[in-house]
Amino acid sequence: MIEVKNLVRTFKSGDRTIKPVNDVSFMLEQGTLASIVGKSGSGKSTLLSLLGALDKPTSGDVLVNGVSLAGLPDGKLTEYRRRDIGFVFQQFNLIPNLSAVDNVMLPMEFAGIRKAARLERARELLEQVQLDPDKHGRRINRLSGGEQQRVAIARALANSPKLILADEPTGNLDEQTGEHIIELLSSLSRDHNTTILVVTHDRSLANKTDRRFRLQQGRLTEEAARSRAAAGAPA
Amino acid sequence: MSVLARSIGNAFRNKVRTAAVVAVLAVAIGLALAMLVANQAVAGKVAELNASVGTVLTVNPAGGQGFEGGGEPLTAEQAATAAAVPDVSTVVGTKALRLRNAAAAAVDAGAGGPGGQGGQGSQSATTVTTSLTAAVDAGTLGTRNQAAEGTTGATGTATAAPAFSVPVTATGIGAEVDTTGKALELTQGTGLGDYTVVSTGALLGTTLAEKNDLTVGSTFTVKDQSFTVAGLFDAGTAFGNNALYLTLPTAQTLAELPGELSTMIVTVNSLENVDAAKTALQAALGTDAADVSQGERNLETAVSSLGSVKNISFIAFVAALATAGLIILLIMVMLVRERRREIGVLKAIGAPNRTIGLQFVLEALVLVALGSVVGAAVASFASGGIASALISSNTATATVTTMAGQRGGPGIPGGMPGANPLGGASQLLTSVTASASPGVIAAGITAVFGVAVIGALVPALLTARIRPIEVLRGE
Ligand SMILES: Nc1ncnc2c1ncn2[C@@H]1O[C@H](COP(=O)(O)OP(=O)(O)OP(=O)(O)O)[C@@H](O)[C@H]1O
Ligand SMILES: [Mg+2]
Repeated sequence: MIEVKNLVRTFKSGDRTIKPVNDVSFMLEQGTLASIVGKSGSGKSTLLSLLGALDKPTSGDVLVNGVSLAGLPDGKLTEYRRRDIGFVFQQFNLIPNLSAVDNVMLPMEFAGIRKAARLERARELLEQVQLDPDKHGRRINRLSGGEQQRVAIARALANSPKLILADEPTGNLDEQTGEHIIELLSSLSRDHNTTILVVTHDRSLANKTDRRFRLQQGRLTEEAARSRAAAGAPA
Repeated sequence: MSVLARSIGNAFRNKVRTAAVVAVLAVAIGLALAMLVANQAVAGKVAELNASVGTVLTVNPAGGQGFEGGGEPLTAEQAATAAAVPDVSTVVGTKALRLRNAAAAAVDAGAGGPGGQGGQGSQSATTVTTSLTAAVDAGTLGTRNQAAEGTTGATGTATAAPAFSVPVTATGIGAEVDTTGKALELTQGTGLGDYTVVSTGALLGTTLAEKNDLTVGSTFTVKDQSFTVAGLFDAGTAFGNNALYLTLPTAQTLAELPGELSTMIVTVNSLENVDAAKTALQAALGTDAADVSQGERNLETAVSSLGSVKNISFIAFVAALATAGLIILLIMVMLVRERRREIGVLKAIGAPNRTIGLQFVLEALVLVALGSVVGAAVASFASGGIASALISSNTATATVTTMAGQRGGPGIPGGMPGANPLGGASQLLTSVTASASPGVIAAGITAVFGVAVIGALVPALLTARIRPIEVLRGE
């Protein structure tokens, strides 16, 4: 369960201060699949970075299963990112001189998992995101954008995190592969009780989520809730 | 993929840059190693010299330095006192005699008597006659010395002065050592056995024996007594070889001065104790009775000149080492800045600071390892040249100072026929050979790695300050 309380993040740009996240509060039960939509520059990535403990809020707090991130020292925050969070970056942020499989193994290495087990799980995850097996050993900078995106998703799943934060995970994918990724994420929330928050411009993806938020100039509003079963039905 | 594998991979990410960095590191490391090798070679030589000559003290009668000295001669009792001083391991007494060819002495007597001829001049040297002819020709120098000394008498006619002959030094020794305390180097025959009893055996310098057509077993006379050549020694110099050794009591008997010593050669048990022992010895014997001096002053000059080579090479070693460390520091700072975003990614996916820091230190060590391999190869070719260049530039000064010492020859305490400071010094200087021993190279590379770790630690710690949010920033 994740609870966000009056979260604010401001940036100074010149003599102007901008507030991409302005007094945001919401709560997600464990296992929820949620989406955030919003215009470019509305603060979606900024909000996600606060939830993933990549950045610290100007004010407000994030509570993960009742534990305040604001009160945790850096070492604990690192542990939180390693164990509890799977982050899919908008820009992928893979290590360019490592192979696909090595990139997926990295978070498991930091978690102290044995090499053989790491390799096995990494290959399994790359298969789940439908990356050609003969591309598993290929260096990242020799993969296409869509292939890199799927490696990034596989890496986010590596340590079986409780919360997945995905910033436009289907942005570079064709419709069919995108559908598959959506199906993969929703099965994780359904079968593994993983909380998933996706930022997307993709209406069809948003429509398949349990809860839908909209971010406008730093303010978060929730669209009318509807059940996942109803999601597939015509509006 | 482990941290180490990642570090190695990263070290080769930009191959051209890696090659350039390794080349620069190799120069610094190679220089450091070459300097260390030179330093070790010289240090080894200095230690060897100090061990061989540095522990010997010479005791002369007070005021007896130089042939015009006065004071009371040294005695056997004083030798016993010296032996009782702490840290003194051995005391060898000597009794010097000046031997003059019987025929030449007769001529001299007619011409107004011999002056001090210099060379062996200690006031306690007694002149006696011998059948031996000196192996050294008087030459211009000897004749001039003779004339200068002789004119205090009535002769005054330098042109009319008879051909001067250099005397032969006979030294009675209490053990088989030369007058500098070094073991005699016998080239033929045997020693004299027991040096504490009267004996008719004698040890001759090679040139002296040659000049007089003597070999082991031949006989000659001193003061009309017959002596047998028991062995030949080579002191390495013409002056040193124009001498003979007898047992101490024999020399004392010939001089008719039993129990009297010209000098005492005191060996101290270790180099560190020399200064203390010298002070203690001087106090025990009394300043009015004896002068204690550290022998081989000339060698000391050579040692100190080698010492400066040692210091120069050590400073150069440290400087080259620091340069290698600085190169690593700057390169790694650059790499950390360049990979800011990637470090952010690693943190964002949960890498602990120490893992990232370790990764960068290991990457630095990979570069240093490559630099060391190339640098060690450079050093093994360069160190010989560097060492000899360093030493030859210092030999000039050493030679000048030893020459100065030599010119004061007549005044050198106790004579010391065995010592040729000039020959010894230049010999020791050229005999320093710098060879890159694996041990020294290993020690040097260990130091290089130590410095590299320190150099890499700063940038590695800088990575700890990079925040994971860097991941969202554009390049
Ligand atoms: N470090 C920063 N310093 C100053 N301004 C920033 C910083 N990071 C983000 N911003 C600004 O905050 C606003 C929100 O940025 P953010 O990346 O969260 O937008 P977004 O909703 O993810 O947009 P997109 O859909 O294009 O990815 C933007 O106007 C951006 O310029
Ligand atoms: Mg964004």
